[in-house]
Amino acid sequence: MSGKEKIITVHLKLWRQKNRSTKGFFEEHTLEGVSTGSSFLEMLDQLNEKLIREDKAPFAFDHDCREGICGMCSLMINGQAHGPERATTTCQLHMRSFSDQDTIVIEPWRSSAFPVLKDCMVDRTSFDKVIAAGGFTSVNVGNAQDANALPISKENADLAMDAAACIGCGACVASCPNASAMLFTSAKISQLALLPQGKVEAHKRASKMVEAMDELGFGNCSNHAECEASCPKDINLSNIARTNREFFKAKIFSEKE
Amino acid sequence: MMVSHNYLTSSIGKKQIMAITGLGLVGFTVSHLIGNFLLFLGPDAFNTYAHTLTSNPLIYLAEVGLGSMFLLHLVLAAITQLQNRAARPIGYLAKKSTGRGETFASKTMAYTGLILLAFVIIHLINFKFGSVYESTIEGETVRDLYKTVIEYFSNPLYVVWYCFAMVALGIHTSHGFQSTLQTWGLRHPKYTPMIEIIGMLYAIFVTVGFSACAIYCYLQN
Amino acid sequence: MSFNLDSKIPEGPIQDKWENHKFKCKLVNPANKRKYSVIVVGTGLAGGSAAATLAELGYNVKSFCIQDSPRRAHSIAAQGGVNAAKNYPNDGDSVWRLFYDTVKGGDYRAREANVYRLAQVSNSIIDQCVAQGVPFARDYGGYLANRSFGGAQVSRTFYAKGQTGQQLLLGAYQSMMKEVGKGKIDLYTRREILDIVVIDGKARGVIVRDLITGDIERHVADAVILGSGGYGNVYFLSTNAMGSNGGAAWKAYKKGAGFANPCYTQIHPTCIPVHGDSQSKLTLMSESLRNDGRVWVPKKEGDDRHPNDIPEEERDYYLERIYPSFGNLVPRDVASRNAKNQVDAGKGVGETKVAVFLDFKQAIERDGKDAIAAKYGNLFEMYQRITDESPYEQPMRIYPAVHYTMGGLWVDYNLQSTIPGLHVLGEANFSDHGANRLGASALMQGLADGYFVIPYTLGNYFGTNDLEKVDTTHPEFDKSEKEAKERLEKFLNIKGSRTADDFHKSLGKIMWEHVGMARNEAGLKTAISQIQKLRSEFWTDLKIPGETDEVNIELEKAGRVADFLELGELMARDALMRPESCGGHFRVESQTDENEALRRDDQFAHSAVWEFKGVDQEPIRHKEELKFEYVPLTQRSYK
Repeated sequence: MSGKEKIITVHLKLWRQKNRSTKGFFEEHTLEGVSTGSSFLEMLDQLNEKLIREDKAPFAFDHDCREGICGMCSLMINGQAHGPERATTTCQLHMRSFSDQDTIVIEPWRSSAFPVLKDCMVDRTSFDKVIAAGGFTSVNVGNAQDANALPISKENADLAMDAAACIGCGACVASCPNASAMLFTSAKISQLALLPQGKVEAHKRASKMVEAMDELGFGNCSNHAECEASCPKDINLSNIARTNREFFKAKIFSEKE
Repeated sequence: MMVSHNYLTSSIGKKQIMAITGLGLVGFTVSHLIGNFLLFLGPDAFNTYAHTLTSNPLIYLAEVGLGSMFLLHLVLAAITQLQNRAARPIGYLAKKSTGRGETFASKTMAYTGLILLAFVIIHLINFKFGSVYESTIEGETVRDLYKTVIEYFSNPLYVVWYCFAMVALGIHTSHGFQSTLQTWGLRHPKYTPMIEIIGMLYAIFVTVGFSACAIYCYLQN
Repeated sequence: MSFNLDSKIPEGPIQDKWENHKFKCKLVNPANKRKYSVIVVGTGLAGGSAAATLAELGYNVKSFCIQDSPRRAHSIAAQGGVNAAKNYPNDGDSVWRLFYDTVKGGDYRAREANVYRLAQVSNSIIDQCVAQGVPFARDYGGYLANRSFGGAQVSRTFYAKGQTGQQLLLGAYQSMMKEVGKGKIDLYTRREILDIVVIDGKARGVIVRDLITGDIERHVADAVILGSGGYGNVYFLSTNAMGSNGGAAWKAYKKGAGFANPCYTQIHPTCIPVHGDSQSKLTLMSESLRNDGRVWVPKKEGDDRHPNDIPEEERDYYLERIYPSFGNLVPRDVASRNAKNQVDAGKGVGETKVAVFLDFKQAIERDGKDAIAAKYGNLFEMYQRITDESPYEQPMRIYPAVHYTMGGLWVDYNLQSTIPGLHVLGEANFSDHGANRLGASALMQGLADGYFVIPYTLGNYFGTNDLEKVDTTHPEFDKSEKEAKERLEKFLNIKGSRTADDFHKSLGKIMWEHVGMARNEAGLKTAISQIQKLRSEFWTDLKIPGETDEVNIELEKAGRVADFLELGELMARDALMRPESCGGHFRVESQTDENEALRRDDQFAHSAVWEFKGVDQEPIRHKEELKFEYVPLTQRSYK
């Protein structure tokens, strides 16, 4: 745009897999004429236009808002979730982060809780199941009191907001050496535990959500912190610490099983 | 007050038990190291310490406690490792660290742990169940553990292996120490950096401390 | 068939209409609610809040979305905030003022009674969201913070950083998931609506395609609710998500639902300009930027100097010049149109010359870099990420982009379309924003419809209608499914040479050129004939790879583009038949002496409601006359 754009050629190594039950493989393509001002996904659009013209199957990947907020896009790019830039989703990644003749390896999120549906599209419904287990306040419409009836310290409100910024993309799971979903799960537990509206059920919530997470086949957190480092929304590890506390309290102090 | 039945099987429960047993082992390691420092004061001081320790009937209780902590730590580590492997059946072709998260220590916990397991077994065979010499201190016959120690460390290869294992211990605990606190929910933007430094200093302390003892013993020959 | 456009506005003074109506609404007793089932299409603020609330009440809800999770609906991308008449800042706001501002902001093309109800329930939305744990911004005392938005004279906008839409959506999503956990909502993700099934004149089900397996499924219910969003993607480039589409609403239109005011589109003034042909979507930046940024272009045409090298006296701060009292804070439609005027006059900036500057230099000098960073840091970062230019160092380049569609399926006061049992909520309906939507009002409307309106009016529908028992073996299901399958096969069998995106881009160009920010009779007629031509090319030269029984993204796109190729024509027709300027719809022929939009209330104070007559048949234009009893009709002026 500002005259800084270049046209480059990239070599792509893509994971192709027909569906959930077939085996996948890597396929190589060379794509010419990529503008460094394009986004990474626009580069893949360009690839797909080319593939369709050549009567080849287009490459399937998830994406929707293309402005870094819906959490639909994924992709392990050269071994890093959402690519090399910090706090960036794949849709916000631009081709200026790459050089002419670069080889780019594109893989799906790898986790037994995220089965591959096709190519690099994965099934992340296990995240929804974690939320359904307790990631809410049990308030029905009509129950609410006036919004200003309970003051909330700005510090806690801000911390809750930082945790709530999670977009549920799954990069934490993908980048975790153990494929653990602790950062995702803890962001919600933490957000709601920080607010008086969520405190009522904080222990039960921590207990239920962690149980659901464990059952879904995610790995165990061992504090590598790769999740935090690759999170496009900079969700903090202190959410995991808070969850550990809430969970312990739930398990130790609750008089009910 | 009671612990829910599924606490131990949950990911966090396992981790918290691993953390607490790890912390127990850290405590044991420190006391062991302080005992080892008596090597520098000569055979009598060291042997008296060893004798006092082993002749106390409570030692059996302590050994059972220590042994179960170790086993629990080990078994939980093995279970989580297996689960973590199952959580990602197909690995990445090009996995690359961000450089902002995982460390050499965190990535190698299983390996350093295995080295330590081997070390502990050898260590027990050598020193607990190994050669028994006797010596007399103030008219009392005691085991001359000092002699056994000096004997083993006369072999430079043994010293190298020992120091290697201690480096593994340092690496293992450098991640383990701060990980323990995180697992127990002790994380705070103000204090966590300090905790990380303390963990690192502790790791250096045990590695250097034990290795120094080994090298000192080698030099006694 | 003639449309029944009875708006069913309740009796009584406007303040009492909703209360009266709620009292008169038939109730369904709690034991009977579990006997009713409801299909909700879409999981954004409207669909999500409706699904959650109806499930809480005890109805059996089936919820459908095209994404992999309800949490991805495009409501999530709204940045600025949500309005409510709480008057916490004590600055003179009230339900009445919010009502008044919304009717006026909509340029007198909305239904007064609906807008008043929206303002009335706005406060409950904030209460509900706070109870859900939505982390709205707070001040140091712990109370909720408010800001002024989009030129409003009061501070009535609640916000959660620059991610208000995300937080409100996650609140609704979490409420939904609570009901999913209880088994009151069955969730169907990665499903696309292929048809609405109408039995005995009532909406009774949907035909959907499972986007993973390609299976065609039939779902039956006692009522169908559409919360499927707007159709801004007809322009190809818009701020909508890639998957946002008008499909479900369009299928409803073809099944007999009236489509109202399709030409009312909102073009948002502060978006990042188009950079090239490979561009797939446009990114909006919150219009709060205009609170501190100054819009300008060089006075000289084709001035190629770096913006920092253009001296003050050679810059034209045109908004401040033309609108001295509102300056850079004029409403969206005015700001957008003026940017277009500057570009058309050859004063556009940047490499493509299709942009204007938004400059923060003076604000940084006045308040300091830190203060500006605290307010706009995340937006500046986003801008730099996309353009590789720092707004701290040089002015941003901005240009308007399609953002929201005020038009949509016609609904009465009960949010029911002209098809009984088919209710339409949020952006998918047409009711509350008239010809132009005010900032921070979309979130308010979506949630008002879902949390507070439909739970009452749907009960009334069930309470007043005898619904025969039907199941998915009904011949109407056979027919709908057959047609849907045939259409999919047809896409695959064309085996032409152009991709769906290629057609979509061509359509987008026609729409932006002729049905964009300024419209005129000749252009609209050209658009209609060009779209018809493009549509016939589409059906003869489309190329779709793959099969129907697998993940086939191109096939999905084909269906959406096919709908857009029909919808675009209707938009052009609607624009053609409204030779007045109002809100987002600017007809070049209808201007004041000062080149401002000229509304023609004597002839056009009505909603145009279109009735489908066949794809290549002319649709029929019906009218719902609008009466302004409480907000007197005046010409907007921001001078």
